[in-house]
Amino acid sequence: MAAGSTAWSIEQRRAFTVGLVPALVVLAVVTLGPAIYLVVTSLTPLTPIHPGSGLDFSTPFANYRQALFTGSFDHSVWLQCELSAITVGLQTLLGVAVALLLNSESGFMRAVRTGFLVPMVLPPIVVAIIWKILYTPDVSPVYAMLGAFGLRPGALITSPVWALPAIALADTWEWFPFTMLMVLAALQMMPNEPIEAARIDGASAWQMFWYVRLPFIRPALMVAVLFRLIDSIKAFPLIYVLTNGGPGQVTEVTNYYAFIQTFNFAYWGYGAAIATLMVAGVFALSLLLARLGAVAPDDA
Amino acid sequence: MRGTIRRRQVLAAGTTAAGLLALPGKAPAAGGAKPLSGVTLNISCWSAPYPLLLAKYIPEFEAETGARVIYTTPSFPIYNQRMGLALATKSDAYDVVNVTFIFIGQWVGAGWVMPLDPFIADPARTPASWDAKDFFPGTTTAFRNAQGQLCAIPWIADVMMGGASRYDLIRKAGLGLPDTFAEMPKMLAAVNGKDGVPGFLTENHYGWTFPGYLQGFGGNIFRNPPHDLMPVLDTPAAVEAAGFFSDLLRKYAPRGALSYTYDEVVAALKSGKVNYATENEAFVTQMAQPGSTVTETCGFSLFPAGPAGRFPQVATHGWGIPAGSRNKDAAWQFITWAMSQKLLLRMFREHGWSSVTRRSIVELPEFRSKLTFNGFDVAKMYLDTVELAAKGYMAYRTVPPYPQVDRQIDIAIQGIVSGEKTAQQAMAAAQRNSIAQLRRAGVKL
Repeated sequence: MAAGSTAWSIEQRRAFTVGLVPALVVLAVVTLGPAIYLVVTSLTPLTPIHPGSGLDFSTPFANYRQALFTGSFDHSVWLQCELSAITVGLQTLLGVAVALLLNSESGFMRAVRTGFLVPMVLPPIVVAIIWKILYTPDVSPVYAMLGAFGLRPGALITSPVWALPAIALADTWEWFPFTMLMVLAALQMMPNEPIEAARIDGASAWQMFWYVRLPFIRPALMVAVLFRLIDSIKAFPLIYVLTNGGPGQVTEVTNYYAFIQTFNFAYWGYGAAIATLMVAGVFALSLLLARLGAVAPDDA
Repeated sequence: MRGTIRRRQVLAAGTTAAGLLALPGKAPAAGGAKPLSGVTLNISCWSAPYPLLLAKYIPEFEAETGARVIYTTPSFPIYNQRMGLALATKSDAYDVVNVTFIFIGQWVGAGWVMPLDPFIADPARTPASWDAKDFFPGTTTAFRNAQGQLCAIPWIADVMMGGASRYDLIRKAGLGLPDTFAEMPKMLAAVNGKDGVPGFLTENHYGWTFPGYLQGFGGNIFRNPPHDLMPVLDTPAAVEAAGFFSDLLRKYAPRGALSYTYDEVVAALKSGKVNYATENEAFVTQMAQPGSTVTETCGFSLFPAGPAGRFPQVATHGWGIPAGSRNKDAAWQFITWAMSQKLLLRMFREHGWSSVTRRSIVELPEFRSKLTFNGFDVAKMYLDTVELAAKGYMAYRTVPPYPQVDRQIDIAIQGIVSGEKTAQQAMAAAQRNSIAQLRRAGVKL
């Protein structure tokens, strides 16, 4: 009986392995292969101008030294942190606030919810064009309206102070519905009992949110924040269309910096090194947030 | 058995051959078939007046030759990024491409585009009447590789000049178009905001629009290009030029001037939303063309002279054949058609295309008279500018690592105009970063 059971479990393991192989092969080819190639390329000075440069491993860490100690990389990372902090912060606050407002079951609210989702489903380039129009004084209805009241504010996207917040605002408009949706889904799954108990105990609206609803939606909120944080690092179309990294370099965040180095200056090896550093950063961030998310419910 | 196999093999081979011949484009030409029947040519150029105009004539080339043409004209930065990648990877995605002036050093130097001399020298492929020597030498020199072979046929001599959409306002102020830098602030101060029209604008590619001012003040990009590529962006002349140019944008340009691309500048000029610009001839002369609202009030001048002289920027772009193209002969046929006297003359006569690179057309009396707008002899300005560039002051622009320096100039001017930095700080940073970029590119300084 025991021998039969062992044979069966060996057979089962073998079947699982055989069944998994195609998926693993596809994963290796589609994901791991390019990732490994990216890392290998980052160890070379690859540039299309010098055909043999892709096989030159004589100074394997030169690109990393260039990125970490000499280039504008650190500046771009700092900008990226600023942009991510502003956008994720605003999206979280706005997403939670709107989700709390829309957390009821009337038909009107359902229609309003759908309306809020529109920015999120628009192609990013369309969002960028919408905001380019809004931010261009000559054609912007906002500027025209302000002009009617005698106000003539400067162009936000060409101001060194306001260019980054202007991008953050556009990004928030596009993506706060994602947080809203996640939080709303969590709120709608919340049982009524704790809310009723808190009401009977005389909890204020703020206490109700802070001590009852927030602990319940925290796991969903953590997931939303994690997704938005990772996505914020990929911000590209808005910057490309609205500011082109300028004025000066005030909106040249890391992936835009990598783009310029790779495609304008043909430093492919260096671009690969920046991409590798970004992947490592995002990976570390994901681990950290996943850990925070995992301990959060117990703490609550 | 052996015999059977042989018969099968013969039958299979015959069937395969018949099948291959039946494929589109592979069948031998029947009597009267067009020379490029079945050939698909992928052609791309950045979006500019000439390539957009050429699109109207391409159906004629298709009808004449039987070729199918897939023609794309993305914006300048997108075109350059897309093409840089395609050429670097020796892709066969394109058969005819624009060789961008700023990338000549890279694209021609690395052998990414074909030398065209063998095509030109072959009478079977190029009739003598096509006359390759008719192109202005100033426009072809930049396209020669280290062996002196021509690698692109220039379709434009992009010369920079001055243009006003509301010359009437300038006249009303008792002034004319500025001939010197010193006259510019005076004129702009007099007309800025009149009729709600801001005075001045240039496109936000300052690596192109600023060097004319830089050189006019006695500065330059490099110490002695192409031999000595030490940047000289922090000299007193360079700082003065940057301060002067940025002041024009800060004081007299519309809000958000730093975000204006070349097509937006053209639109602003054509609609009279901005008065004066120093821009490419092909752009400013659109003010005098149908579709403009300022045909009656526009005026033109040479690019103003600075204390050190007049340095209007002249760029040239040309049609080339990528090394990876699989249709090189057909591609050459397209280039000879697109750059023939016959077609260029038609483009000029039918649509007013004026940035022509063939001397035989520019010297026609009808060219001269048609390019006189509101009394301004633009043809003469064009010729004078092309001849000025023969002095060689544009040599800085075709060295392979120029794009990196170009970016530093963009950043510096944006920094000054936005108030983020002083001219001194911005140009010092441009100098520092340019040196770092050049060393990184392997340039010995």
